[in-house]
Amino acid sequence: MSVETDSPERARPEPIRAVPVRRPGRWVAVAVLAVLTAMFVNMLVTNTAFNWTFMVDEMFRPPIMAGVRGTLLLLVLSMLLGIGLGVVLAIMRLSDNPVLRGVAWVYTWFFRAVPRLVLAILFGNLGILWARLEFGLPFDRQIGALFGVTDFEARLFGFNTLDILTGFVAGVLALGLSEAAYMAEIVRAGIQSVDEGQTEAAQALGMTRGQILRRIVLPQAMRVIIPPTGNETIAMLKDTSLVAFVPVSAELFFQLKAVGTRTYQLFPMYVAACLWYLALTSVLLVGQYYLERHFAKGHGRSGRAKLKLRGITAEAGGGAGTEAVKS
Amino acid sequence: MTDVTESPDATAAEPMVRAEQVHKAFGSVEVLRGIDLEVGTGEVCCLLGPSGSGKSTFLRCINHLEKINAGRIRVDGELIGYRERGGKLHELREKEVAAQRRSIGMVFQRFNLFPHKTALDNVTEAPLMVRREKRSVARDRAAALLERVGLGDRMGNYPGQLSGGQQQRVAIARALAMQPKLMLFDEPTSALDPELVGEVLEVMKDLARDGMTMIVVTHEIGFAREVGDSLVFMDEGVVVESGAPREVIANPRHDRTKAFLAKVL
Repeated sequence: MSVETDSPERARPEPIRAVPVRRPGRWVAVAVLAVLTAMFVNMLVTNTAFNWTFMVDEMFRPPIMAGVRGTLLLLVLSMLLGIGLGVVLAIMRLSDNPVLRGVAWVYTWFFRAVPRLVLAILFGNLGILWARLEFGLPFDRQIGALFGVTDFEARLFGFNTLDILTGFVAGVLALGLSEAAYMAEIVRAGIQSVDEGQTEAAQALGMTRGQILRRIVLPQAMRVIIPPTGNETIAMLKDTSLVAFVPVSAELFFQLKAVGTRTYQLFPMYVAACLWYLALTSVLLVGQYYLERHFAKGHGRSGRAKLKLRGITAEAGGGAGTEAVKS
Repeated sequence: MTDVTESPDATAAEPMVRAEQVHKAFGSVEVLRGIDLEVGTGEVCCLLGPSGSGKSTFLRCINHLEKINAGRIRVDGELIGYRERGGKLHELREKEVAAQRRSIGMVFQRFNLFPHKTALDNVTEAPLMVRREKRSVARDRAAALLERVGLGDRMGNYPGQLSGGQQQRVAIARALAMQPKLMLFDEPTSALDPELVGEVLEVMKDLARDGMTMIVVTHEIGFAREVGDSLVFMDEGVVVESGAPREVIANPRHDRTKAFLAKVL
């Protein structure tokens, strides 16, 4: 075929209309899936153990709705505690002060090592350890004994453990304190993802460490922190069911199980639990989608310069955060 | 800062920067091995040398981004990073170091603009947070500074929307917003496309004409010859040769300087 480039106006070639490659495997897969789906739907409809009408009747009753509210409240409170304490722990972990670093490390080690279920049960039983919680001079009785005073007491105030550490508070503490350990790692990864040059530039301008963290580093770290925090929130929604072991009754799974036990219809109520958690998680997923899109927009706009400079892709930045979560 | 003890020999003739026997080591690697340097007020001093010669490290020592291991650095008569009392050196607190840095502007090779803030907000950040200026005052001055570096029409842009040369000019405006008495430039044009180097050098020349005291780590021999009042050639952590730029460039005395200049010229 000879090449002719000197003709000034070349005719536009005909668009390609090729016969696509046949993919019979796809049709087989569709057929298999169709049969499996039909079998599954048939089971859902014909198996009387599901007791659908009973389940639908029961799963929106006031006690269950109170359970949903309790679950959401647990989620919000424990995530607030987890994120707040997590940020503090991350900053401690990155501090120059070896004592703060050590404390943060021990905290993270402990709360990541102990399963949440065990923590929930443990916190529910703290009343065994202390009947009363009192605040004042530490070791006051021992100090008194040292000076020959037998009834020396220096306590400012106190309360009965069971008044404060009710099931609900114990549940929030168990979930929130455990979450803080994971959030600390996420926030730490986020802070470390911000270029060292940012801190140096701010230092050179005479900004103090607190200002640099608040105004320069944390806003940029958010891009890396937000997506895994969304995952943590969804995981926490499901983990709220663990506080049934504290025990906490104002919680979705506890309520559904209670109905099941009372009516001897446990299985439909377990299915109802699946559907409730599916629905709530889906709502959170939508929220996470919009949140991530919002922060990705900021990245596309402001991160391009850095991208050019350092050759680091947006994916690598986001990936660093999620890696740290898994580890 | 008023509570920093002025050195007794601070006289009218005191240079803006006086470094004496500055040593710096990273672990066992000695990067600076006794640097002596004086830069008078209003002078432009260009630091030249092969990479790894310690010139950037020395620049970062001047505003205490790096701690020196021995020697003294004074800026405008004030000891940097330490306080001398009763023959002993005391480390300054973080806040005192920050206060010293306020009057020393720094421009980085990689700009280090804050990517989440617009050009204008980059410039107003330190005046607002460090000098506690009123927002309207800081904005007006920032706008004037951006105008001066030729970016009056780019104030609302984020760093990611600006070219390298424009970013570096914003970075210069950001440093100037603190009204420094000394400006440090760490290879300000090394990360730029060749055709963008000129616009940044132009801004720096303008600054020099204005009487700003500047220390510039650079590979731009032309700039050193045209604008510099003194040229310091460093290698392996020591000052090999220094003098008037034209003199050093035309008749280098040391073989090391000759070899380096032969390569870059």
